[in-house]
Amino acid sequence: MTQLPWNWSIERKLPVFFSTLLLAVVLVMLGAAYQQVRTAALSFASERVKRSTKEWVNASLRSTAQQRSQLATLVADPGVRDFVASGGKRGRDWALAALRRIAPDNTPNVAMEVWDSDGRRLLLRGDSVFASDPAPLAASDSGTVSPYRVQHDTLILSDMQAVVRRATEGAAIGRVVVVRRLNVSALARQTLTGISGGDMSLLIGNVDGDPWTDLEKIIPGPPAEARVLHDSLTTVSYERGDAKIGAAARIPGTPIMFISELPLRQVFAPSRVYLRRMSLIAAMIVLVGALGAWWVSRRITNPLRRITTAAAAIASGDLGQHVDVPGTDELGQLGRSFNIMATEVQRARSDLENQVVERTKALRETNAELEAFSYSVSHDLRAPLRAIHGFARILLEDHGTELQPEAKRVLGVIDENTRRMGQLIDDLLSFSRLGRKELETARVDMAELVRGVVEEVRRHAGDRPLEITVSSLPPARGDRNMLRQAVMNLLDNAAKFTRKRAPGRIEVGHQDNGAEAVYYVKDNGAGFDPRYATKLFGVFQRLHRADEFEGTGVGLAIVQRVVSRHGGRVWAEGKLDAGATFYFTLPGASDA
Amino acid sequence: MTQPHEVEILLVEDNPSDAELTLRALKQRNLANQVFVCHDGAEALDFFFGDGSHGLREIGVVPKVILLDLKLPKVDGLEVLRRLKEEARTKSIPVVVLTSSREEPDIARAYRLGANSYIVKPVDFEAFARAVSDVGLYWLLLNHPPR
Repeated sequence: MTQLPWNWSIERKLPVFFSTLLLAVVLVMLGAAYQQVRTAALSFASERVKRSTKEWVNASLRSTAQQRSQLATLVADPGVRDFVASGGKRGRDWALAALRRIAPDNTPNVAMEVWDSDGRRLLLRGDSVFASDPAPLAASDSGTVSPYRVQHDTLILSDMQAVVRRATEGAAIGRVVVVRRLNVSALARQTLTGISGGDMSLLIGNVDGDPWTDLEKIIPGPPAEARVLHDSLTTVSYERGDAKIGAAARIPGTPIMFISELPLRQVFAPSRVYLRRMSLIAAMIVLVGALGAWWVSRRITNPLRRITTAAAAIASGDLGQHVDVPGTDELGQLGRSFNIMATEVQRARSDLENQVVERTKALRETNAELEAFSYSVSHDLRAPLRAIHGFARILLEDHGTELQPEAKRVLGVIDENTRRMGQLIDDLLSFSRLGRKELETARVDMAELVRGVVEEVRRHAGDRPLEITVSSLPPARGDRNMLRQAVMNLLDNAAKFTRKRAPGRIEVGHQDNGAEAVYYVKDNGAGFDPRYATKLFGVFQRLHRADEFEGTGVGLAIVQRVVSRHGGRVWAEGKLDAGATFYFTLPGASDA
Repeated sequence: MTQPHEVEILLVEDNPSDAELTLRALKQRNLANQVFVCHDGAEALDFFFGDGSHGLREIGVVPKVILLDLKLPKVDGLEVLRRLKEEARTKSIPVVVLTSSREEPDIARAYRLGANSYIVKPVDFEAFARAVSDVGLYWLLLNHPPR
């Protein structure tokens, strides 16, 4: 059995194919799922930052509104009005108490100031570092929140002021300012971001630019797109430097805005974890798939291999081969069909062998019968013939003197015909012997064989003028005795039919015809009518009358039988009275 | 025809015509005086090994040559040949197989059994007569048997 190169075997191709297919599918699905998870994470993060910003803005809005109403109440207080208008110890105490209601003692991030319309600070509650330097008073400014400003490099302040008016005509006489400090520290940041969920950054700053802070320190201003905002609660998402997602919103009615930010790295962290887990699962799937495919291919190739081995064994002659392929699937069917086929082949072979044995026996019997027949012909037909001939001769010898000339002539006819019949029997027997005799094949030197025959023919010819030329002849392969008989018959014929020529010319030669050697015997004798060329080689077929040229018509039949038993062909060319050429082919000595 | 004790040629031949032609051929050379004819194989064996009931047995008489046909009734020629060549007493008698059979196996078997010569009887009477008389001349006159 020829072993297939491994790279061609199904056992390898199938697992490789399925693993590749599985890998491709898994990779595509993994990629699609990862993209979806990323998109979902991004959308979720975007929602989160928006909500966070909105909440901060709402909270700020509420506290600003509360502060505004407190301030409005404060400036409407008659005691406070009086203090701003006329001062005095009592008025001062009253005002201070009013201020304390807005900024109690435990609120270090809030300071309050009361100013008169001449720009003098009448009262300060809280740390003096917050001290403001308010712009000239304008009625419209009442209740507005100022942008953040930086003081002493670290303080971020924002204030709101309310105008104090004379109760009677409403003229502005001073103002009350609330200054709030944005508490910027690691702790503050931690506290605030903790409220938003730890991973979120909260940025606060002015809409128009610096200062900005992340609640821990002062930072550069936010990206331009985040600052192009309406004075509303709409939030805008953006990605900064491909690394963050954020939502920005302005606190309505103020120059201050909030931004909530999440690092994208953090947003996508779960998707990466998902990807890692899914990759592991995918690898497992591919591995299991490959193993499964390998197992399946083994299930297919093992029976196939067994069948191939059995088929090869059958091909090399071991017919008793059967394969064991269980199951009802196609392979099982194949195995069963194979077994049926093998049984059939074995049966057919044994039938054939039996037939051959029978036929051989029959053939042998026929041959034996033929042999017995030949023996009888040889013995039983010749004896009476000999008696007829012998006693006719005795009659002629012993009683010749008493016989009329006509009686003598009749005896002569008997004599002649018994002779002829004897010759016929002899020729027939030798022709039949040729068919039964085994070929004893060897290399035959045709040149030497022909030389021997030519000498014999010359001897027979006696003084008759006969020119025989033999050109070089290639050796052949065959039974020497049979070939000699054939060549002898051809040359005998040539000599016979050139008897009336003076001189008779016979030429023996050969033509090179590729694979086979073509020998020929050519004469200038009586020739033959080409119309009857096919009859030349039949047994007892003669193209000349017996009184012209004697013969039994067996010679050429013998030639044909010898040549055809050697696997060659024989044919003749000729014309009446213009000579004949007999050709025959023989397997070359180099063959076989 | 002659008595057994004078036999020089023993002819074993079942066909009377062939026997007559053979005798005639021998007669032409004056060789026919001491010829004894057996008409089948059994008679031939009787001549040498019989119990004398046929009046043929004559101990001590040894023909100079036996002319033996192969196709014989009762016991065939090859069997006769085998028996003759087995027996020490008859082993040295020359046996010439004179038969119509040209078959190779017959020729080969005859020689294997110890035939001294194998002659195919020609149909042509002249040729036949020549062959028979040549055989007679050779074995009776030219051949020198052991003493």
